[in-house]
Amino acid sequence: MADTIPILRIEQMTKRYGDKEVLKNASLSINKGELKVLIGPSGGGKSTLLQCINFLIKPDKGRIWLDGEEILRAKGKALYDYRQKVGMIFQDFNLFDHLTALHNVEIALVRVKGLNKGEARDRAVLELGRVGLTEYMHQYPAELSGGQKQRVSIARALAMDPEIMLLDEPTSALDPELISEVLDVIRTLRSNGMTMIMSTHHIGFASEVADELVFLEDGSIVETGSPVKILYQAECTRTREFCSKITEMYGNASS
Amino acid sequence: MRELFFFQPDIVSALASGLWISVQLIIPSALLGIIIGVTIGALRVYGTPSIKAMANGFVLIFRGFPLVVQLFIWYFGLPYIGIYLSPFVAAVVGFSLCSGAYQSEYVRGAFLSVKTGQTLAARALGFSQIKMILFVTLPQAFRRALPGCGNEIIYLIKYSSLAYMITCIELTGQGKIIASDSFRYTETFMVIGALYLILTTVAAWLLRRLETRLHIPGFEQYG
Repeated sequence: MADTIPILRIEQMTKRYGDKEVLKNASLSINKGELKVLIGPSGGGKSTLLQCINFLIKPDKGRIWLDGEEILRAKGKALYDYRQKVGMIFQDFNLFDHLTALHNVEIALVRVKGLNKGEARDRAVLELGRVGLTEYMHQYPAELSGGQKQRVSIARALAMDPEIMLLDEPTSALDPELISEVLDVIRTLRSNGMTMIMSTHHIGFASEVADELVFLEDGSIVETGSPVKILYQAECTRTREFCSKITEMYGNASS
Repeated sequence: MRELFFFQPDIVSALASGLWISVQLIIPSALLGIIIGVTIGALRVYGTPSIKAMANGFVLIFRGFPLVVQLFIWYFGLPYIGIYLSPFVAAVVGFSLCSGAYQSEYVRGAFLSVKTGQTLAARALGFSQIKMILFVTLPQAFRRALPGCGNEIIYLIKYSSLAYMITCIELTGQGKIIASDSFRYTETFMVIGALYLILTTVAAWLLRRLETRLHIPGFEQYG
């Protein structure tokens, strides 16, 4: 019974801006080690959903459970503790511009987790090594390429020992030739058993690594299923239309 | 021959003591002004609506009242409610608050220029609001605000001359005394002006060095 409890479960998540509902009753659950990919047109609610999960956007309605425990108080220390367990990767990397790669990874370990400088340094060096950036650890964000920046941000999130990672279009701001270095890192995370929810337009990559694709449009989860089902046997017409269009643009699993 | 006697030792020592008082006024006022400016600037950006309103009110008053009027209130006004400040303390209080109000505007702009993505990233990592400000946005905002804040410090050096209006005899005050004793207004105030010029030049040089020292790639400075 124990291993059927999903690591993260959200129910009836709703977010409104004025009269516009950008997220409508979205429910989702994910088991340990799974990778779910959110697909759908821009403005469909993928980012909003991801940012509601760690309360960067405060949902108007909805419940969240992490490890079977409901997050009831999304405030103060309880919120900061919860966020440490939910790593997030952004489309624009969002590295701290005034810190080197090494300090970007270190700072939350020292200031949030309370590790001492030495422990934090060791951990940061280890994580940067894992994403292949040992030689770049003393560079500032302005001196790194997009792909390198995104890898630093992945190292920064992983250093916090998250139970789950949210990746919000991690490759969308990258030049085409830099995309694969980031996708490789995500592939490695996947094979190491990291639980992830990721939004992307890279349908080929998604179908290769995802356990499940979740199609979101106009703030609603329209359809959920295995990559094969969503890509080739979708029940909903909109899902089929979207998938054929995006497959044409972003290619198949080979990419 | 009288010209040669103008700069007598007692005049030089009077100027030196005036200059020293000025420096003693300027340094704490500049530091306190920066501290007040950073605090008020942060509150104006990150505070709750009521805190923002209070911080804006502070700026409205201390930037809106003429500085001389503020000094008169601190020195001549407060005794009516039983608070006695020495001329020196009243001047430092007046300068710090006024300077802080101006500084807060530069700091506010600098905080707003930090990309919102960085605050999202900090929050996503579990930073509290106060830690996010201290360790993520302030170090960046401070670098961006520095040229403006430096400008305000240069300005402070010059408006410190108002202290003599509340009987704190600093450089300008000494100049006034020397000039009225000797009737040599032009020469005296030319010398006083030159001394302020030296102070502002030194300050500008120090600020420039600080900028260079704090420089990191991605926060480019020009010139």
